[in-house]
Amino acid sequence: MTLAALGIDVGSTATKLVGVTAAGDIAWRRLAPTAPRIEAQAEALLAEARAQPGGERAPTVATGYGRKLVASATRALTEITCHARGVYRRTGRAGTLVDIGGQDSKVILIGAQGQVLHFVMNDKCAAGTGRFLEVTAGRLQLPVAEMGDMARAATAEVPISSTCTVFAESEIVSLLARGTPVEHVVRGLHRALVHRVTSLVRSLGPRPPYFLSGGVAHNAAVAAFLGEALGAPVERAEEPQLMGAYGAALSALEP
Amino acid sequence: MPNEIHVPSRREAIRAQVQSGGGLAAVFPYHPPRALLRAHGLLPVEVWGPPGRSSSRGDAHLQPYTCSLVRAGLSFLLEGGLDQARVVLVPHGCDSLQGLGSVLLDFVKPAPPVLTCYLPRGDRALDRAFLADELRELDARLAAALGTRPDEAALLAAVEREERADQALGELLEGRARVGLGEEAFYRLVRSREYLPAEDFAALAGRALAAPAASARPARTPLVVSGLVPEPMALLSVLEAAGATVTGDDLACSGRRRYRPTQGPEPFARMSEGMLSGPPDSTRGASVEARLQHLRQLARAAGARGVVFLTLKFCEPELYYLPQLREGLAQDGVRALSLEVDLAEALPAPLVTRLEAFVETLR
Repeated sequence: MTLAALGIDVGSTATKLVGVTAAGDIAWRRLAPTAPRIEAQAEALLAEARAQPGGERAPTVATGYGRKLVASATRALTEITCHARGVYRRTGRAGTLVDIGGQDSKVILIGAQGQVLHFVMNDKCAAGTGRFLEVTAGRLQLPVAEMGDMARAATAEVPISSTCTVFAESEIVSLLARGTPVEHVVRGLHRALVHRVTSLVRSLGPRPPYFLSGGVAHNAAVAAFLGEALGAPVERAEEPQLMGAYGAALSALEP
Repeated sequence: MPNEIHVPSRREAIRAQVQSGGGLAAVFPYHPPRALLRAHGLLPVEVWGPPGRSSSRGDAHLQPYTCSLVRAGLSFLLEGGLDQARVVLVPHGCDSLQGLGSVLLDFVKPAPPVLTCYLPRGDRALDRAFLADELRELDARLAAALGTRPDEAALLAAVEREERADQALGELLEGRARVGLGEEAFYRLVRSREYLPAEDFAALAGRALAAPAASARPARTPLVVSGLVPEPMALLSVLEAAGATVTGDDLACSGRRRYRPTQGPEPFARMSEGMLSGPPDSTRGASVEARLQHLRQLARAAGARGVVFLTLKFCEPELYYLPQLREGLAQDGVRALSLEVDLAEALPAPLVTRLEAFVETLR
């Protein structure tokens, strides 16, 4: 398929690139851990995309925290606008989007036409972000990808009272030293993360339906616990980690 | 061309004043009696931080819930930053500033005399009379500290110079679209009112407004900016890069100082009337309704669909109003973004994202 536009989302953890057709369907995708040399990595990924049919002349929108480092992008947009656009295109519905990324989390109110009505960000500490799970997974010597299943399967949980990621890590050490089963700790950690995100959602007022995007959306326990906390199901966007890049590519289609 | 206008820095203004044999008054926000200080031969130089410096020395003397404006100001004083001043004036703009006044008078006791001044929380005849008496008292304390005794004619001349500068500030803010400066450069010009002699500021503003009209800039998203002070100033460049422009100003350091001209033979009554005549202000105890009405008018006149509130952490006077202001503005379809900054810190990247995202929602 011929690529009509490209979107690149340079996140703190992963860099995502999406190519769309003129109809706005995803036709090409790449995902790689974000490298320290962002400019070089972004251009290398874009070179690969531009080698695809139509890619050479495809306009490009960059998003994510490294958006301004993508020298060859036509323009840059924030991940708030791009995630909302991507998710709205997939769901076609207004609602509340929770985007939990590697270093921050955002709650975005999407209007009936897909526009961003309001947003809040948790950007002052790592609690309520993917980093919270990464750090604690490191302490527990668990692969991050397995934590969600472990949390769901656990039959009990211990409360993690520290909202600060660093203190939570210390709390884990204390719990493990007391012989608390690892899976109970993991379930408690997920509950703590969701508690933080839920307070962000409530600050905008409850406006279902709820959607979840960003890398943490791959974690089924987060979606399930968030749904319990909000009293309504939380839909995980298809290819949740790509929604920012997808929204950027859709924006690049616009004149 | 307007972008060739040189706006003297605080340092340059201070040097010029000292070289001319004049004295300096270090003045803390928000509504300093500039005319009175000038009449005593002092150039009032306002202390808004300064930003981007460690406030650790001040922290040792203050409660942890004190705002960064006071912490940074006290640190600067302790580091010798205000040593050139003949007097330090701390108007009672809020509890934190009043606390600073007490700390300076009772504990720190810097070399320059520390003077305080109470600002009434209203604009009734009683409030104006009270402030006029406060200013007379301040005049006496300045005379005692400096040995200067300006007569009534000198006081009135100072009042009129400041009123011309206030008028110039208003014209500058109104004429924003005609001044071909970028957002940050424009606010460097506006904020030179904080330290330039009134007549120099009025002349500078006049030159900026009289310069050939700037070539048409691409259509920008108009915004109202509210809060205390546009720090870090780089915020304004972020706004500009995002395609926005500040067309309405409700900042304590600029827009809320659009005092009305006064008339009459008695200088202290005129100073008092002028200082209390500014737009509704949190530090002067304006009602929420009055603040909301003012912001609504500013947004309408500016054609703005968004208001950015720049708040300092722990700034109670400003934060008190925010929930109701946001709600009221939303009823008019005007969106609000609240950004909390710390004067000691550089511009954080997440704050840039929030600002840019906000502008994107207004397009």
